[in-house]
Amino acid sequence: MTEVVVFCVAAALALVGALGVVVSKNPVHSALFLIQTLMGVAVLFVLQEAHFLAAVQVVVYAGAIVILFLFVIMLLGVDKAEDFAVEPIAGQRPLAAVVGGALLAIGLTVMVVAVDGSTGTSATFDPQTGQPAETALDSIGADGQPITDIERIGRVLFSDYALAFEITAALLTIAVIGAVVLTRTVSRGERLDDLEPASFDLPPVAPHDNQPDHDSAGESGA
Amino acid sequence: MLALLAQQVPDFVRPDIDWHAAAPELTLLTFGALVTMMDIVWLEKGRKLTSIVASIGLLATMVPIITLAVDGADRSMFGGAFVVDDYALIMKAVFILTGYVVILLSTNYIAEGDYWENEYYGLLLSSILGMILMASARDLITIFVALELLSIPAYMLATWRKRDLKSNEAGMKYYLMGVFASAIMLYGMSLLYGGSGSTLLTDINESISGPGDPSAVVVLGIIFVIVGFAFKVSAVPFHTWAPDTYEGAPTPITAFLSVASKAAGFVALMNMLFVGFFGRDDVYEPVIWILAALSMTVGNLIALRQTNMVRLLAYSGVAQAGYMLAPLAVAGDVPDSALAATVGYLVIYAAMNLGAFAVVIAVARKTRTAEIDDYRGLFHWAPGLTVAMTVFLFALAGIPPLGGWWAKFRIMGAVIEANTAAGVVMGIFVAVNSVIALYYYARIGVKMWAEPAPDDDTAPVRVPVSLTSALVLTAAATIAFGVLPGLVGEVTKVSLLAGVGG
Repeated sequence: MTEVVVFCVAAALALVGALGVVVSKNPVHSALFLIQTLMGVAVLFVLQEAHFLAAVQVVVYAGAIVILFLFVIMLLGVDKAEDFAVEPIAGQRPLAAVVGGALLAIGLTVMVVAVDGSTGTSATFDPQTGQPAETALDSIGADGQPITDIERIGRVLFSDYALAFEITAALLTIAVIGAVVLTRTVSRGERLDDLEPASFDLPPVAPHDNQPDHDSAGESGA
Repeated sequence: MLALLAQQVPDFVRPDIDWHAAAPELTLLTFGALVTMMDIVWLEKGRKLTSIVASIGLLATMVPIITLAVDGADRSMFGGAFVVDDYALIMKAVFILTGYVVILLSTNYIAEGDYWENEYYGLLLSSILGMILMASARDLITIFVALELLSIPAYMLATWRKRDLKSNEAGMKYYLMGVFASAIMLYGMSLLYGGSGSTLLTDINESISGPGDPSAVVVLGIIFVIVGFAFKVSAVPFHTWAPDTYEGAPTPITAFLSVASKAAGFVALMNMLFVGFFGRDDVYEPVIWILAALSMTVGNLIALRQTNMVRLLAYSGVAQAGYMLAPLAVAGDVPDSALAATVGYLVIYAAMNLGAFAVVIAVARKTRTAEIDDYRGLFHWAPGLTVAMTVFLFALAGIPPLGGWWAKFRIMGAVIEANTAAGVVMGIFVAVNSVIALYYYARIGVKMWAEPAPDDDTAPVRVPVSLTSALVLTAAATIAFGVLPGLVGEVTKVSLLAGVGG
């Protein structure tokens, strides 16, 4: 019973927060609503006895990532109000509402009305016998102590999903490099100016190439 | 301390790692890191070498791919999440060679165009790393991470001409649409995981296939995953990002996106269909059928009205994606022919489309635009490029004896072999669309050969060595695949079904 009550409260918190992120006009409010959603999800994790995930959810997402969002919003200027009254494409919003509503209806139908229960065959039950199936990792360790969820995550991360884990590491490094290059404002043109003038007889050859007036922040084009 | 930790977790088994199987990825990763760090150490001197080191890296990656192919054994790691078989090796080779040609296309463009260089090649190599991983990925999480690894560098490369508004638009559109597609796909994957309790495609297949109707969750999961990849391969109605992104991105990156990125989407889709969803053809066949029919029809009809060469190739690429999806729409009836037809088409499409973009880049060195009207009278000032472009366009249209006809022939063969109403109707779609496509490809041919050059400007264009080698490589491949169709037929005779175990 407690579980149901906690679930309902946490789920409602998460849903209201998600709605708030989309609806609120002020981006700071959106970010704060996002924290509410993440907290709601963290409570749901606790309910599933995934205590480590719940802690990570709060520390990493609610703590670090949303704070980063807020930094970016503040740096870009909260006072710059966007004009939401004008639709860039006529009829876009009614259409979006209809499509969104349809998707929601399909999702709810599948989840709630589907004859075989909310998630089809359960992961922990054998579909033929209906008995609990063997999971990949026994929940009792070799020393007879129950394995904690931290240990489980660690085991899975460094055995079955070691490859995905390593790729993610490479991905994050690459994303940082790319972000630095894209936001860097020093123009390569300054360095090119030191070269021989002869190197300019073949100009930049892109289709629709940039004219100097497209240069941002007064950079001197090549 | 370590001993104490080890005592606490005595039963941890270190996963087996087959270093030979992982060698292509590790080689490419090493070279990617090397390229990225080169000009930290050597500064300006390093910059001149980056494209060379990057291409050496790709060629070095071919070595373990070839040794694995010679060895011939199917290898599997991480409980089946990473599989090296013939199919994976062929696709890896396609990605590596495509990447090599893209570097040839980029060398002068990037060096002369005042862009960041070594980061460019570093990101290009990491995107290719994502692709070769995708070819081996047989697990939802690995597939998703590989997809992000190939997409995120591509988003950044699309916006590499960052002082041009069009390039900013290209990167932004590609990024937003790509992230949206990833989110939908991830939702589909979570449904599949919820419905089957495993992230391994083989386990998912065991759990969702079999007699009886699929559960609603599985149906929704399959549809969402297919929709996610439909964005990646730019199939109608999820193609809207493609023309704008292709137009704004640096042209070598456009070539990369239209060939390698599209092929990676197809590889992931085929992994899903032939391993994960195999046996659930009642669900995926109608979805793929609709995507295929819409893609070729809409892509070809919009291409008829384009005035910009890159946008025309973008819409032609949408239509080509439709052709490649066509055999997948009968994948449940004739799995082997369908797989071979799509893989074969991907190989040939890579050669002919890269070639077409190589000509676009070469012509733009003089005209500095990609308007189709600037191709008038091309024969008078660049006869070699005109012949090459004609070869690539007629190959794309599917005229014998060039590569494209054999690719289309096999697609027709697969859909007819299925011997179902849906297959036959799909065959009619392919035939009608080939005729429509011939019109706009031939129109460019007429402009190049028969019309006078604008302003009688017949000054020749200087084509650098790297671009010439790219043109020669792709033209040779396009012609060879057409004249010796057995070549690609032999190479792409693969079966993914072995992985399912019956």
